[in-house]
Amino acid sequence: MKQLISLEVNGDRHEIAVEPDATLLEVLRDHLGLLGTKQGCDSGGCGCCTVHIGDRAVYSCMKYALSAQHQKITTIEGLGADGKLDAVQDAFVREGAVQCGYCTCGMIMTAKQLLHDDPHPDEDAIRHGIAGNLCRCTGYHKIVEAIRTAARD
Amino acid sequence: MALSRLKKFCIPENSHQVDDCVAEYGDNALILAGGTFIRGLEVRGLLSEVEALIDVHKLGMDGLVSGVGNVRIGAMVTFAALEQLAELHSAAWLAAVRDALACPPLQIRNMATVGGCLAASCPFYDLPTAFLALDGSVTVSGAGAQREIGLADLFVSLFENSLEPGELITELTLPRPPGRSASAFIKLEGTANDLAIVNVAVSISVDAAGVCEEARVVLGGGVGDRVVRSATAETVLKGQQLTHEVIEHAAAAVGQDIEPMADHRATAAYRLAMAGVFTKRALNQALSRLN
Ligand SMILES: Cc1cc2nc3c(=O)[nH]c(=O)nc-3n(C[C@H](O)[C@H](O)[C@H](O)COP(=O)(O)OP(=O)(O)OC[C@H]3O[C@@H](n4cnc5c(N)ncnc54)[C@H](O)[C@@H]3O)c2cc1C
Ligand code: FES
Ligand code: FES
Repeated sequence: MKQLISLEVNGDRHEIAVEPDATLLEVLRDHLGLLGTKQGCDSGGCGCCTVHIGDRAVYSCMKYALSAQHQKITTIEGLGADGKLDAVQDAFVREGAVQCGYCTCGMIMTAKQLLHDDPHPDEDAIRHGIAGNLCRCTGYHKIVEAIRTAARD
Repeated sequence: MALSRLKKFCIPENSHQVDDCVAEYGDNALILAGGTFIRGLEVRGLLSEVEALIDVHKLGMDGLVSGVGNVRIGAMVTFAALEQLAELHSAAWLAAVRDALACPPLQIRNMATVGGCLAASCPFYDLPTAFLALDGSVTVSGAGAQREIGLADLFVSLFENSLEPGELITELTLPRPPGRSASAFIKLEGTANDLAIVNVAVSISVDAAGVCEEARVVLGGGVGDRVVRSATAETVLKGQQLTHEVIEHAAAAVGQDIEPMADHRATAAYRLAMAGVFTKRALNQALSRLN
């Protein structure tokens, strides 16, 4: 039976009726139309569903929507302001760190926390930091470069 | 929707509400912490009987205390929160926990809890191997009563723990070891985001003359249906100076206490060989940390 819940996503509050086993990922995509957050493995193995709860990167496929109430959720759509890209998004564009783009939004959300915790990571720290995000296209090199660029700028 | 029988999602604010939910749904009620193990079971279709999830995040259980005789870690402390324990970054005896915390990816460190990783009773995880090497025990409460369980008695077999229905792990206690002590943990994995082929945690205490007074050697990964303590290796170490030869001898002895398995990650023979190699490395690492 559906339950009414209240979620705060990108600063907006939403009242939504969901099944009790709905994941945050399902609610973001299917109820709120926030399609930047992707569904890949649906079980913690790929990272393309990464969003922030508070200032922490989490797999939205592993979080039940009911458990995410009363917390600040940020998706890729919540980055940037006034029509301008966030610095990490901008660095991904400038460095050409995107091919098919399926991993990109999750990768950027992870990079945001990485740079928040360690504003000047070396290459090892960047590679270790994005270990929970898979990319099938780029070979990671340009992604690492983009995160470095974002740290520099 | 693999929780096809789910009727209730409880978010209790006190233990009475937990008891009520357990009373109503019995064995078909499941405690939910970080959800990272549970979601994995759900997508594999293994939770079709579950009728109630009990999300315990409002019960507190998130304390982190460096006490006089021990370190106490609340069951709902996430791996990321545990990384904030100041002592973890300086104390040699806790170093195995620091080593193991470096393994899971960022998102899992942000979500997974200490109670969840122990209750899952999965020998392929890393933190439980380290906690058993540090002689951890858990405080468990249910139906108004409390008890202590050593981790060796908590882990019964693969995915099976010794908790009664409705019992909650509330806290993990790691006793401070006597004298000069140090620990280390090492994981052998196929990729950066995979479970262990083999992992090893060791903890050693030596007296003023460098003689080993206490030793705990623990192995995980596919070496048994639960995390295994190698009593044979520990006997080799105790009462000895930890020379190169003694460490070699102890590392060779772990093979007597484990039952390596073959799976898609590795053969049994490879696991057996690596268990010895990684025990030796972990012992040398712990030795180098003794101050
Ligand atoms: C992609 C991925 C990578 C991973 N990598 C690693 C790694 O490198 N190293 C590693 O060690 N682990 C790793 N893990 C495993 C991870 O550590 C566990 O999934 C996690 O610790 C489980 O904790 P949780 O809080 O999410 O538990 P949950 O999924 O909420 O619960 C786990 C089990 O414990 C029970 N439970 C939870 N809390 C309590 C409590 N307080 N009292 C009684 N029962 C309780 C639940 O009912 C359930 O049976 C990984 C997992 C994933 C998905
Ligand atoms: S969809 Fe969440 S980790 Fe793959
Ligand atoms: S750009 Fe295609 S998966 Fe990363």
